[in-house]
Amino acid sequence: MTGRSPHGAAAARPDPHATRHWRNQRLSAIALLLLGPWFIYKLLTLPALDYATVTAWIAEPLQALLLLLFAWSALWHSALGVQVVVDDYIGGRLHVPTARLLQVSHWAAAIAVAWSIWIITQGGA
Amino acid sequence: MVQFVLPAKSRYKDQPGRHFPAPPAAIRVRRFRIYRFDPDSGRPPCIDTFDVDLDNCGPMVLDALIKIKNEVDSTLTFRRSCREGICGSCAMNIDGLNTLACTCPIQSQGAESRIFPLPHLPVIKDLVPDLTHFYEQYASVKPWLQTREPAPAGRERTQSPRDQELVDRPSACILCACCSTSCPSYWWSSERYLGPAALLAAYRWIVDTRDETQGERLDQLQDSFRLYRCHTIMHCVEACPKDLNPARAIADIKRRMASRDD
Repeated sequence: MTGRSPHGAAAARPDPHATRHWRNQRLSAIALLLLGPWFIYKLLTLPALDYATVTAWIAEPLQALLLLLFAWSALWHSALGVQVVVDDYIGGRLHVPTARLLQVSHWAAAIAVAWSIWIITQGGA
Repeated sequence: MVQFVLPAKSRYKDQPGRHFPAPPAAIRVRRFRIYRFDPDSGRPPCIDTFDVDLDNCGPMVLDALIKIKNEVDSTLTFRRSCREGICGSCAMNIDGLNTLACTCPIQSQGAESRIFPLPHLPVIKDLVPDLTHFYEQYASVKPWLQTREPAPAGRERTQSPRDQELVDRPSACILCACCSTSCPSYWWSSERYLGPAALLAAYRWIVDTRDETQGERLDQLQDSFRLYRCHTIMHCVEACPKDLNPARAIADIKRRMASRDD
């Protein structure tokens, strides 16, 4: 008889991932606070938003790097936020598959963004 | 997890309640619509209406409830003890806000007062919720002093006035459960999320300079549900009848957790 409740027993196993998740939310938010205004400013100051102008802008190495960082930050922040939504709103047997599906979707989007920017910088657009 | 619809037996709409009018000579009359549920009756919950003569009633909602119980319907069930906001027994939902009936004045505005038990808890009877799980969560944070070193010989474990200030406010929690039961995250995940009251209690011992188990206490809370289900909704701060700030305490626990992991 330990007197320990089920909550106390479960609490004996700290989960560092929980704190990392919380910290990553803040880190990705800070990245978006820095890169978001830059992205909006760039969109507003481009001479036009046609395909040729935008790809020419992305083809510049520094702009491509910043755009990649912005997109990855947004996807990272989204993945973390969606995980919280899934934890709150989706229970039972659907919880793990839904979380995995959304994680894979975000990874796929991150790879697609990187691949697209790489293609444009190599002049293959 | 989120539940958008109440279980069928918890729905009170369309269940006609009884109406108890005020004495004919009453001038200042206030209408109270009160949630009623008696598990022994087998009937679903309903709302009874009581018209109370305010000229023969104390100024607080608890006074009206006691008057109703004494003079109108002795089966009306609610918890109460100190009548001065110290014991936390009479916590209930009054006009949509979790608060203490003993410190909540009877409103003169509006047509009526609506009184319900604390939300999202199993109801034992009428305005009495089942707080077993809430107390179990409180116990799980080990709300007592834990030390490794033996106490100094011949004297108590001392604190500076500044150290004592850290625990002054969190110690004022009366465990009325107004905060936890006003928190949507707690409604949705109360099986695993400790809720603002238990986390405020944990915080009270984490910041206590005499306690020597801060690491273990933080370990215990380090979980995506036990602590991190708090989404800073802040209902707990609005609901607390003692003007405490559980949200700030939870934010400080998260900050300590993050800095500890560096």
